[in-house]
Amino acid sequence: MNAAAAPTPAAVSLALQNITQDFPSPGGGAPNRVIHDISLSFNQAGINMLLGPSGCGKSTLLHMMGGVRPFGVTTPTSGTILIDGKRCDGPNEDVVMVFQQYANRPDMTVWENVYFPFTLRLWRNKVSRAEAKQRVESMLQAVGLSDKRDLFPYQISGGQNQRVALARALVLRPRILLMDEPFGALDAQTREEMQRLLAELFRTNPCLVMFVTHDVTEALVLGDRVIVFATQPAIVSDDFTIAQPRPRDSAWLRSPEATALQERVLSRLHQASAGKGSLRVSY
Amino acid sequence: MSDFWNPYAPLPAASRRAHGLVAVIGSLLVWGALALSGMISANKLPAPWQVMHAMSYLAWDNGHSILLNATLWSAGRVAVASVLVMALGIPAGILMGASPRINAFFSPLVDPFRSAPIVALLPILVMWFGIDELMKIVFLFCGSVVYLVPMVRDAVLAVPQSYWISARDLGATPFECVTKVIVPMAMPRIADAIIVGVSVMWTYITVAEYVNAREGLGQMIQASKRFSAMDQVFAGIIVIIALALVTYQTMSWIKRRLYSWETQV
Repeated sequence: MNAAAAPTPAAVSLALQNITQDFPSPGGGAPNRVIHDISLSFNQAGINMLLGPSGCGKSTLLHMMGGVRPFGVTTPTSGTILIDGKRCDGPNEDVVMVFQQYANRPDMTVWENVYFPFTLRLWRNKVSRAEAKQRVESMLQAVGLSDKRDLFPYQISGGQNQRVALARALVLRPRILLMDEPFGALDAQTREEMQRLLAELFRTNPCLVMFVTHDVTEALVLGDRVIVFATQPAIVSDDFTIAQPRPRDSAWLRSPEATALQERVLSRLHQASAGKGSLRVSY
Repeated sequence: MSDFWNPYAPLPAASRRAHGLVAVIGSLLVWGALALSGMISANKLPAPWQVMHAMSYLAWDNGHSILLNATLWSAGRVAVASVLVMALGIPAGILMGASPRINAFFSPLVDPFRSAPIVALLPILVMWFGIDELMKIVFLFCGSVVYLVPMVRDAVLAVPQSYWISARDLGATPFECVTKVIVPMAMPRIADAIIVGVSVMWTYITVAEYVNAREGLGQMIQASKRFSAMDQVFAGIIVIIALALVTYQTMSWIKRRLYSWETQV
């Protein structure tokens, strides 16, 4: 494999059109609006950070894109999500999600966890056994778990478990990768490691990444584009791009450009959501 | 002694065995003393050594073993009923757990019987199925299935929803979620249900063999009682307890070997 040649990303487009979401309030009465009239579009591979305080509705938005919906509630209440111009209303094979709780199967080894999707009819019909095994092999290598292949999830660390989850998603070569605070449960050092790994994996397998976080630093370290949400209901309060190539080290984070961006994001968040939700700046 | 009231402090295996041994020997001593004192007559409470003697007589007398024969018959009935209970009860429980509609339909037909007096069903079963093997197997089946089905259903329901959502996202159909996610992940608790289901049968075996049995441990106890051979009654009860214990321990051991990941979750 020629590492120098950056693969050409497959064309992909994702559009959110006037997305509004109401949830029924617990005590009855007027429904609770969590997302209000959001329109966004994404037309090329890149890491897009959805940044906002916890509980602002950004995860709900992400779940909509994945076609994963809570039971008993219609999502979205109004508006449309288009993937490659087609309306998204259920799980889509081009879209794979990585959850904060790793959802790794406790009864399967690392290798079996990553191979699991290929045991499903959808992927059995598309990918031969030999190719699936080869993909799993190189993906385990890419996330640095080749020597852990026969261990069970309880025998490896939280960071390694999240690598398994990431490998299981990327082995399907999704054109859209949805990440719901994937590193939120990890300690600071492991989180940085995982951010570097994601940047590296993105370089070799570029796709459209939608990454939900409430960590301002994480957004600046990883994002090609950062979308800042105000809360209750969620609306877009800022939307900018960062040209600095990855990996972005701590020196860059202290640069005037990065400090200015951080100031800008924090002031946005504070004015939009004074006293609501919580944010993290981690360095 | 500082850990006397600490449920999380593990007791060393040797100490645990010593405690158990003391309890068993203590009970035997009390039992022996009661029998020796003459306060209770031997045809109400035979002494431990009389029971031992009866046991050896039942185990081997005059070239054949009443005990072995009876045990094989009882174990055979339990085995046949167990296979039937598993073959029907496990799929039923899985279906009920996997579909709220199926559960809503069958739950009123299954759940009330968990607290029903199964023994009271015996006369009805005799009426329907006669007094031979079929009736005994059906009785054991009924006694066990009312526990097994709800337990299997609950095992399925206990699988966290996040695995279902994740598998759906990866492209699994709902049916694949059931077969490839829910069932494999519910297996340790389904195994628990099987263990309970089979163990319960040993408690019903004497009742099953009460009516017109020519062979079996229950019949052996019945016959001994008729001849006021209390020592043999005691011996028979001890054999049933021992068999139930061995069945339980063996099945638990197999379960732990098969699903070693369970305790680590």
